Amino acid sequence: MSKDVAEGNVLELTGITKRFPGVLALDTVDMVFRKGEVHALVGENGAGKSTLMKILSGVYQADSGTILFSGGSVVFRNPSQAQDAGIAIIFQEFSLIRTFTVAENVFLNREPSGLAGFKDMRTARKETGNLLREIGFDLDPDARIEDLTVVQQQVVEIVKALSITATVLIMDEPSAALTDKELKNLFGIIRVLKARGVTIIYISHMLQEIFEIADRATVMKDGETIGTKNICETTKEELIRMMVGREIKDFFPASVRTRKEELLSVSGLRKGRKLDGVDFSLHAGEILGIAGMAGSGQTDLAKALFGVEAADSGEIKVLGKTLNIKSVRQAIGAGIGYISEDRKNYGILGPMAVRVNITVADLGRFLRGGVLSGKKEREEANKKIGELGIKVAGMNQRADTLSGGNQQKMLIARWLLKKPRIFIIVEPTRGIDVGAKTEIYRIMRALVESGSGILMVSSDLPEVIGISDRILVMRSGRIEGIIDQSGGLTTEERIMSLAVGHDYSFSEGIPS
Amino acid sequence: MTKIPTLKEMVYAAGKPERLVWIILSILIVVSLVASPLFSGLDNLRNVFLIQPVGLGLAALGQTFIVLAGGIDLSVGSVISLLTSLAAGIFQKYPLMHPLLMVAIMLGLGAAIGAVNGIIVARLRVTPFMATLAMMLIYQGLALFYAKRTIGGIPRSFRFIAEGSVLGVPMSIVLFGFIIALCHIVLVRHRFGAKVLAVGSDPNVSALSGIDVGRTRFLSYLFGGMLFSCAAIFLAARMGGGGPKVGVGYDLDSITAIVIGGVSLSGGTGNVLGAFGGVLIISVFYNLMNLLSLNSFLQILLKGLILIVAVAFTSCKKQG
Repeated sequence: MSKDVAEGNVLELTGITKRFPGVLALDTVDMVFRKGEVHALVGENGAGKSTLMKILSGVYQADSGTILFSGGSVVFRNPSQAQDAGIAIIFQEFSLIRTFTVAENVFLNREPSGLAGFKDMRTARKETGNLLREIGFDLDPDARIEDLTVVQQQVVEIVKALSITATVLIMDEPSAALTDKELKNLFGIIRVLKARGVTIIYISHMLQEIFEIADRATVMKDGETIGTKNICETTKEELIRMMVGREIKDFFPASVRTRKEELLSVSGLRKGRKLDGVDFSLHAGEILGIAGMAGSGQTDLAKALFGVEAADSGEIKVLGKTLNIKSVRQAIGAGIGYISEDRKNYGILGPMAVRVNITVADLGRFLRGGVLSGKKEREEANKKIGELGIKVAGMNQRADTLSGGNQQKMLIARWLLKKPRIFIIVEPTRGIDVGAKTEIYRIMRALVESGSGILMVSSDLPEVIGISDRILVMRSGRIEGIIDQSGGLTTEERIMSLAVGHDYSFSEGIPS
Repeated sequence: MTKIPTLKEMVYAAGKPERLVWIILSILIVVSLVASPLFSGLDNLRNVFLIQPVGLGLAALGQTFIVLAGGIDLSVGSVISLLTSLAAGIFQKYPLMHPLLMVAIMLGLGAAIGAVNGIIVARLRVTPFMATLAMMLIYQGLALFYAKRTIGGIPRSFRFIAEGSVLGVPMSIVLFGFIIALCHIVLVRHRFGAKVLAVGSDPNVSALSGIDVGRTRFLSYLFGGMLFSCAAIFLAARMGGGGPKVGVGYDLDSITAIVIGGVSLSGGTGNVLGAFGGVLIISVFYNLMNLLSLNSFLQILLKGLILIVAVAFTSCKKQG
C-alpha cells in the first residue's frame, strides 16, 4: 500500500474514528490540508477539534481511519514520533516546564547531546537565540519560564514548535491569552511560516481572527466534519450556523427591563492599589455588566463584595442595611452568591456526583435528626437538574465529566438552593460552547426576572453588551462610566473608549 | 520605629533557597562554636564534616533524585539495614572475597531493590508514599529475618573504603566527593537529569514532549537504589559489620536534609549541592545536641520541629 497525498496536499485524513468510554469523540472524520495554507478548525467545545489534533500529534491513537502524510500512511504512537515526522503542536494548555529555561524547554527531550548522553546546552541556547531572532522577538534563552509573561511563554511555545522544522504546525487556541497587539505579532509569524510552505492548522473560537488569518475553515460538530469553506466565500453567520445549526439573532434573550428595589449599594470602596473609590448600586431585576481592560479592578471588586479579599474601606449596603463584609461566610449570610471564572478550582467538586455538587453548599436543610436524608437530597437535586435543563446521564455522574456549560448550570443550581438575591458571576460563559451560552444567558435572565440582581464581570464585550441592562466600565480601580442600555444597545467602541480613557479605534491597537 | 519583618520577608531577604542552606549552615556553625567548646576540637570537626555526613549524604543523594522526579522513598533506612546485614553475612561465609566484588554485589542489590520500588511505583501505579512505606516493612522484615542482630566480620580490606586514606585524604571523602560531583553533573548536564527534573516539575507536560514519564520515574528509583547501596557500603565499612537496625532514621533524616537543602517535595526543584548543604546542617545539628548532651527524647522532638520549619520555609517561599 504505497498511497501518497494528492498533489498540493500535505495531510489527508480519512474515516478517523475515536471512541472514549461512553462518548464517540470522532465519527469517521475526513479532512484535507493543503501545503502552505492556514486552515482554521472551528466548532463548539466538545466538537472533537482537540481530540483530532491530539491524534495528529501522537498524543492519542485513532481507533480506525487513515492518516496520509506526505509520503504515505502514518500512525503516531507518541508525540516524539509525530515531531520527528514534522508535525508540531502548540497545545491549548501550555506545555512548558515552568522551572526550566527557555532553551531547556525548546529542546526538552530533544537536547543536542554529545558524549554518553551529556547535553550540549551551548548549541541549544544558540539555536534558540537564532529562532527567536528569526521571528523578531527579543527574549533571553536563559530566562526561566516562570519569570516570563504569558505572551512570552506563548512565544516560547511557538519557538519550540519551530525548532522541530515542522511541515505542519497545529495551534490550539493560541490567542486565548493575547492582546490585540500581540495577536498581530502572532499573525505576522504565521504569515512568515506560511510563506515558507508550512501548513498551519489554527483552532480558535474567535471568528474574527479566523477571518483575518485563515485561508479555509473546516467546521466540526459532535465529532463530525460539517464542511470546509474558503474564507473569502463565507461569512461569520454562515460558519456559526454550521457550528450550532441556529441563527445568531436569538442569541441573547430580550430584557424585560423591570428595575425594582435596590439590592446592593456600594460607595467609596477602596482596596490597596486595586480599588480606588467605587460607587454603584445594583437593583432587583437587572443584570449589571462590569467591563474594562484586564486588571482594572473588576475581579477585585467582585472579590471584595464576596469577602474573598475584603475591601480596606468604603460602605456596602445590602437591602438598605450597612454590612461589614470581611469573609465569604458573611457575604453568603447577607444573601450574596458568587460563581468564579475558574470552575475547575473554585467551582465544581470534580470527582463527586452532580447531586452532591448541587446540594453541598446547603447540606443543613437535608438533615433529618442530624443525619443526611438521601431522599430529600435526591429530590431537590433532581428538581434543579430539571429546572435548569442540566444534561446528565444521572445525578450520580461525576461532575468533571460534564461539559463546561452543564458544569456552570450545576453551579447556578447550587446557589439557587441558598436563594441569594445578589449573584456575582465572573466570566459566566468562559470556555462554554456557543449553544450552551444561550442557555446560560436565558437562566441569568430568568433569575433577575424572579427578583434577583446579577453583577456580571466579563471580558467578552459582545456578551457584556448583549446581556447587560447597565454596564459599569472600570479603569484603574475606578468606575469610569455607567452605560444605561434601556435606550438601545451600546457599541464596543464606546466601552473601549471608557476603558482605556481616550478615543479608541481598533486600528491603533491597545496602549499598554 | 522599625517594622519587624514577616517570615516571608525574611525568606525573601535571604534570597534563593540555594543560598538559604549555606546561610543556615553558617549560623548553625557559629552557634555551635559559641555553645560548646568541644565543637571546635579537631576530632570533633573531623567527625562532623568528614565522617558523619558521608552515610547520610549518600542516602540523601539517592533520595534527591527520587524526590526530584516526583517520588519519595521511605524505605531507605531498611534498605541500608538489609544491605549492611547481607554484606556482613556474606563476608562471614566467604571471608576471602575480594572487596571490589562485594562492592559490585552491593551495587547490584541496590539497583535491584531500586528497580523493585520503581516497578511498583511506575508500573503498578502505587503512590510513591504507600509503595515505599510498604517496601520499608518488607525490607525491614527481610533484614530481621536474615540477621537477628548485628553481625561483625567485615574484613580489613573492605573497611579500607571508610577507614583508609590516599595521600593523606580519607578514602571516604575521596569516594564521596567523586559521587557528589558525578550526581551533580548527571543532574545538571546529562539528559537523564533533565528528564528527572522535567517529570518532577510537570509529568503531563513531559509526556506531551515525548518523555516516557514512567520509565524516568523507574530509573530515578534505580539510580537512587544504587546510591543507597553506596551508603550501605560505607556504613558497613566504617562499622566493620552490619545489622537490621543500622539504617534506622536514615529515611526521615535524608528527607529532612534535602528539604532543608531546597529540594521541593513536590518534585522538579532543587539540586545536589543544596541537598549536600542540608546534610551538613543535619550533621552539625545532631553533633551539637550530643555535645550539649540533650535528652534523647528532646532530640527526637527537635528533629520533628526542624522538619516542619524546613517545609514551611519552602512552601512560604513558593507562595511569595
